[in-house]
Amino acid sequence: MKKRAFLLALALCLSALAGCQREPVETTVFAMDTVMNLTLYGGWDREKTKETRDWMTQRLTDCDELFSAAEGNGDIARVNQGAGQPVEVKDPTAELLSQALELCEVTGGALDVTACPAVTAWGFTREEHQVPSPAELEELARRIDYTAVELEGNTVTLPEGMELDLGGVAKGYVGDRLADTARADGISSALLDLGQSTIVAVGTKPGGRPWRIGVVDPARPGAYFAVVELQDMAMGTSGGYQRYFEQDGVTYWHILDPDTAAPARSGLSSVTVVAPSALTCDGLSTALFVMGLEEGTQFWRDHPELEFEAIFVTESGEIFRTAGLEGRFSLAEGYQDREVVVLE
Amino acid sequence: MKTRMIIFLLLAAVAASAAWLLLWNHEADSPVARVSWDGALLEEFDLNQVDEPYTYTFKHESETNTITVERGRVCISEANCPDQICVHQGWISDGTVPIVCLPHKLIVEIVGGGGVLDGGAG
Repeated sequence: MKKRAFLLALALCLSALAGCQREPVETTVFAMDTVMNLTLYGGWDREKTKETRDWMTQRLTDCDELFSAAEGNGDIARVNQGAGQPVEVKDPTAELLSQALELCEVTGGALDVTACPAVTAWGFTREEHQVPSPAELEELARRIDYTAVELEGNTVTLPEGMELDLGGVAKGYVGDRLADTARADGISSALLDLGQSTIVAVGTKPGGRPWRIGVVDPARPGAYFAVVELQDMAMGTSGGYQRYFEQDGVTYWHILDPDTAAPARSGLSSVTVVAPSALTCDGLSTALFVMGLEEGTQFWRDHPELEFEAIFVTESGEIFRTAGLEGRFSLAEGYQDREVVVLE
Repeated sequence: MKTRMIIFLLLAAVAASAAWLLLWNHEADSPVARVSWDGALLEEFDLNQVDEPYTYTFKHESETNTITVERGRVCISEANCPDQICVHQGWISDGTVPIVCLPHKLIVEIVGGGGVLDGGAG
């Protein structure tokens, strides 16, 4: 009789184990100038998953302060106020900056983390937009040069007049770290949406199917034109429609060409990058947007070690995707008659 | 007898687990627009139960957003936020892309409705 009771209890426990995974532990965080949603499917110990979520929330808040280029006591703000003097930064900042500078180098400066003064001059930091004069742009472009950033250990030295802006890569870096934490805490299934432009998938959805993520149509930002399936993979999108203003009939967006300090006019309206590293996705989506379709495609061919795939949408609405997305890319409902050019 | 009972109980456990997993991807049928501020739920609107379009106005101190609800879709039609991104986004009719008014920490999202996507990038 005791055995029966024991077995019955065991059966109920097994059922409960399957059931308790059904409801994810979720949270919404306002950080890094965006809104983030974390969805975690942990094991049987829901409290442990909640602890992981709370740790992640705190980490996002900490990183927001550390990496903010605006005024404050964060590392990057202090570097920007350093007036040419060496500034000690914490380990995460040094690690992020090191990885970001590597991406700047590999992209030949198409990504440049020193564009902060130009972003400010265009008014994108305070949403008080203005178009700088050609002379101002020339001066601003001279102040964009990632090779002038010195990083030795945890010491950063930036020439006076230059400023760092890690906004294009910080979310990716944090996403990678949060995904590491999720895996280390035994969370085999999670979707970390760090403001839509950066998404990290840990494992698959519960049940084993890949996460299905829509890609926003740059011509209709309320809709998505494609679906990408992710499994232990990150995704980053850069598009002119994300932040922009119009003046005298001209649209000016926030993605600047480091060579001109003006909005990048490469013929693209959005670039989506899929890669194991969210930081790579973040940095490369910006860099490929600056490069344009032809140069960006060549960059993809030349850098298999970065393990990334890309989706390009041109200003005229043409869709291109790299061959490695075969089986993971499909057109969304309402877009199935659109042509997709596969880049080899 | 004991062996049969053990097998029966184990099969019952497996069946119950399988049922949970099968039910996993089933979402609520009726699309509901959820309005939340700073992570707290303010209002929910069943988008299948809209006979005539109506508006809901969010107010917090001097911040306001007017949300227009129609059958199957919702948008922020007016707001006094500085960037107007939420207004420019227009209508949403599924759960892929929420409307976010970052300056006001206001989110309008659609849940349920049998959406097949887990998120949106862009």
